[in-house]
Amino acid sequence: MSDSTINSGNVIVFVIAGLVVISLLFGFIVFFLISYRQKKKDFVLMQLQKNEIESQKKTVEKTLEELASAQNQLIQSEKMASLGVLIAGISHELQNPLNFVNNFSEINKELIEEAISRLQNKEYEAVVELLQDILDNDARIHSHGKRADSIIKGMLNHSRNNPGEKTLTDINALAEEFLRLSYHGYRARDKQFNSILDVKLDPTIEKIPTIPQDLSRVFLNLFTNACYAVNEKKLNSEPGFKPKITLETINHPNTIEIHIQDNGNGIPEAIISKIFQPFFTTKPTGQGTGLGLSLSYDIIKNTHGGEISVTSKMNEGTTFTIILNKK
Amino acid sequence: MLVDFPHGFYYLSLLGSSFISIFLYRNVDKPFQWLIILMLVTSISEIIAKYLAFELFESNNIVYHFFTPLEFSIYCIIYYFFIRTTKYNTYFILLSASLIIFEIINTIFFQSFSVSNTNTLIIESVFLVTLSLLLFYQLKEEPLYDNLLHEGVFWFNSAILIYYCFNILVWGFHNLRVYELTNPPKLMYDINLILSGFLYLIFLFSICLGYKKFQLHLTNRYV
Repeated sequence: MSDSTINSGNVIVFVIAGLVVISLLFGFIVFFLISYRQKKKDFVLMQLQKNEIESQKKTVEKTLEELASAQNQLIQSEKMASLGVLIAGISHELQNPLNFVNNFSEINKELIEEAISRLQNKEYEAVVELLQDILDNDARIHSHGKRADSIIKGMLNHSRNNPGEKTLTDINALAEEFLRLSYHGYRARDKQFNSILDVKLDPTIEKIPTIPQDLSRVFLNLFTNACYAVNEKKLNSEPGFKPKITLETINHPNTIEIHIQDNGNGIPEAIISKIFQPFFTTKPTGQGTGLGLSLSYDIIKNTHGGEISVTSKMNEGTTFTIILNKK
Repeated sequence: MLVDFPHGFYYLSLLGSSFISIFLYRNVDKPFQWLIILMLVTSISEIIAKYLAFELFESNNIVYHFFTPLEFSIYCIIYYFFIRTTKYNTYFILLSASLIIFEIINTIFFQSFSVSNTNTLIIESVFLVTLSLLLFYQLKEEPLYDNLLHEGVFWFNSAILIYYCFNILVWGFHNLRVYELTNPPKLMYDINLILSGFLYLIFLFSICLGYKKFQLHLTNRYV
């Protein structure tokens, strides 16, 4: 074959190959343009959806912020409500010794006046007796003064500890103290209220590390709820009903078990699983924030690593059980 | 002298486009500025190859041995600005460096200064087709433009894809000599020259679109 034949043959191959390549490339570019337009449409749609989601996200975040703020306010009101019960309880606890102090000081005043009168009549034996009575009364005044002092010191001890710091706590003493504070606090609000307080404390229980301020809030909530439950039943039942609140502590090798029992109306089965949820309350509007049990649950479960549970029977009562680890 | 239509069309397109684009240099974005630089470098190298190389050296092929890596490096810079993502930075540098190294090895062992550096031209074309496809992929992944036909980047990239695919064909025929040609068909080179001419005209067109967009951007900014 001559060069010219090869040459013309190759020109044809080259031209065909070139045309095929260029056609394919044009086809690719046209296809790219079409798919780009579709992608652009999807992209714009996606951007719109993204903007919509962003906007909704901002709304939800704002709502969440508002909810958090409302929750904080509710927690504050719950604290204030607890404080009210606490103050009423403390006032009652202080009222007793103060009454003694006032009464005996009044009696002493009268005795001193009588002693002066007898002295003027030179009845020395009677004066000696009167002075002995004054001395006895003074001892009583001193004793009740010390009792008031110890109540205040006890309260100060609870409040002085650094928040969140665990200290060795006498669970029996703390639970009993707050049972009485809650009871008297409740009585201060409702003079008709009365209940039997049955306290069964296990004397073998040793001091365990807890955050007493937090634990006292739990006791305050549970005892106040117990008072509310028995009072409600008393108001709506026959006259023979005797309200009773029981505090029982049991010592186990590694744990301490605390039972707080009332013989109130009980909690319906349908709602018992919800009672530890925040803002859940069966009390009338304004009487409960629905945070008491939720905060108690948080304190026992998360702060102390313990357990809190509830059992209830309709018309028979409710028992809250707290289990605290000793270490 | 300009003897035939393909050569005339090619030189006129290249020199004319380069000359016009100089006036647009200050009013276009970075990738188009580098495209103008590329066109100027190409013009200078073509002038040297056409008028000075034969006076100074035995062949003008020596000019292309230096020009090809330089041209590819500038293309890498342009693609770097167009692709606008830092994840490919290393690849641009690697591609550019590997072509320079390949050119040195090719010159020493395979195609000396007196011979056309078709091996390097084929490799450069393959790299550029790859970069072009990468830019198309990037454009589709982030479809920021409303109408691609109004975008300089689309016309630039389409021109690169078509021209360098064709280049692989041309230099493949020339280089491989699959039919053991003593004289490759002149038509092949004529078509290549015409396509080169169109390439620079499309470059100018995309620079003009870039200029238009730049002006629009300035107007929007100050309105």
